[in-house]
Amino acid sequence: MNIFFRELRANLKSLVIWSVIMILLIIVGLAKFAAYYNNPASLEILHSLPKAALDAMSLQAFNLTTLSGLYGIMFVYFGLMGGIAASMWGSNMISKEERDKTVEFSLVLPVSRSKLVTAKALAAVVECLAFVLVTWGMSALAVQQYKPDQSFFNFLTLEMEAMFIIELIFLAIGLLLGCAMKKYKRSGSTAVAIILAAYFLSVIGSMQANLDFLKYITPLKYFDAAQLLKTGHLDLTFLSLSAAIIVVCVVAAYRVYSKRDLYI
Amino acid sequence: MSTTIYWHELRSRLRSVIVWSVAVTAIIFLFSSIFPGFAAQAVTVKELFSRFPPALLDAFGMQNTDLSSVLGFYGFIFVFVQLCLAIQAGNYGFGLVSIEESELTADFLLCKPVSRVQVMTSKLLAALTSLTITNIIVWVVSFVSLALFSGGRPYAVGTLVLILVSIVIFQIFFLAVGLVISLLVKRVRSVTPYSLGLGFGMYVLSAFSAVLTEAKLEYITPFKHMDPAFIVRTMALDTPLVLANGAVSLLALTLSYVMYARRDIHAAS
Repeated sequence: MNIFFRELRANLKSLVIWSVIMILLIIVGLAKFAAYYNNPASLEILHSLPKAALDAMSLQAFNLTTLSGLYGIMFVYFGLMGGIAASMWGSNMISKEERDKTVEFSLVLPVSRSKLVTAKALAAVVECLAFVLVTWGMSALAVQQYKPDQSFFNFLTLEMEAMFIIELIFLAIGLLLGCAMKKYKRSGSTAVAIILAAYFLSVIGSMQANLDFLKYITPLKYFDAAQLLKTGHLDLTFLSLSAAIIVVCVVAAYRVYSKRDLYI
Repeated sequence: MSTTIYWHELRSRLRSVIVWSVAVTAIIFLFSSIFPGFAAQAVTVKELFSRFPPALLDAFGMQNTDLSSVLGFYGFIFVFVQLCLAIQAGNYGFGLVSIEESELTADFLLCKPVSRVQVMTSKLLAALTSLTITNIIVWVVSFVSLALFSGGRPYAVGTLVLILVSIVIFQIFFLAVGLVISLLVKRVRSVTPYSLGLGFGMYVLSAFSAVLTEAKLEYITPFKHMDPAFIVRTMALDTPLVLANGAVSLLALTLSYVMYARRDIHAAS
């Protein structure tokens, strides 16, 4: 328990910095949205199109005259930021002990290695949750001026759930890296490589139809804003895929860390 | 400047330079390789769009992205190259002098008969050399991949050169800003979270600039100062913004020298 609270406190600063970036992002997004909201010319065209046609092209999700459209676009960046922050927290949480030469101290405490990892992982999960709540709260606050209806809030809830799951996936990957890498310096840079690769693959996957299979590889593509808006729930296949990744990474992290020769 | 420090720094960064250079090479080739197929699609889409009223395209943010032209597409992928370069330069900037403190080698370095100004200058030059190597590789790879994948479509070489010239200004910005932040905080424990935060934060702030209209706040990000889409559209750099960017870098560098000269260095106890 002491470790848990210590970690929470130690990572507060990082959480604050990420939250500030997120808040800036939401402010920029809504500032841009002002030019599109209820733009009469665009609205007129939209109304002239049959609704079925819009649904078929899943364009409704990216219709920038509505808040849902804006958030459909923003979701990519929410996921990206959540993923980066979480993977950094996960890998740092473990590897910093070796970097700061405090690992000997931590491990002579009367706690097992797995208890140590549990406390740290829980602190990171709490932090991820806090990051989602900041995003959620700021969004809910910022959109007030546009008087959104209930359906937007349902969509926002769904997006935030998806963002939290993406965070958990990257947190688990980061945790595994922190636990498994013998050289503590490697874990951070490997996490960077993974997150950059995931992002680039998600971009390239949406550009080319025959690269569609990439959506199974990169977690940033597991939840698609257009799908979320259309179906109103998280896709079960990808939910189970996410759960599988998280479980595998966490189990591997525990096993590796309890046996590993630590760098002292 | 001390050549010993310079070479030591350069050597210790060699691996990282190679990794980043391979990464940007892979990105440019990977994305360029889908261009031939994509351009054909994009032409069809463009024709389809041209029948739509502009206001509709506006509503979906599709009016000013022409991915069917060579440079339009190159500008689109160049942003990802910029993202990598930003993180790399940020890494070098944040780690430049802070690494001596976090690895407890600062007192060793500073008891050598070199002034702090010399230490800083040698390290900065070494970092700049490393960045320039990656920069040169981006130049070469860009020309090669466009020659390979443009499928004989013509493009304005001058505009491409202009985009590539912007790299050096861009790198110096992240190097300098990283450096000054690393000196402003009490202690940099780990470099990657800082450089990722700075790099991705700036990227995300400007990310949907191609899609949506302008917002004042995004002028703080270098991705906007050297927006490749803007360069392709106007065939010129956005001079006031680039100058502002250069001024910020210069200020950050000056400030770093002043702060490093008077910094209280934690010694290994």
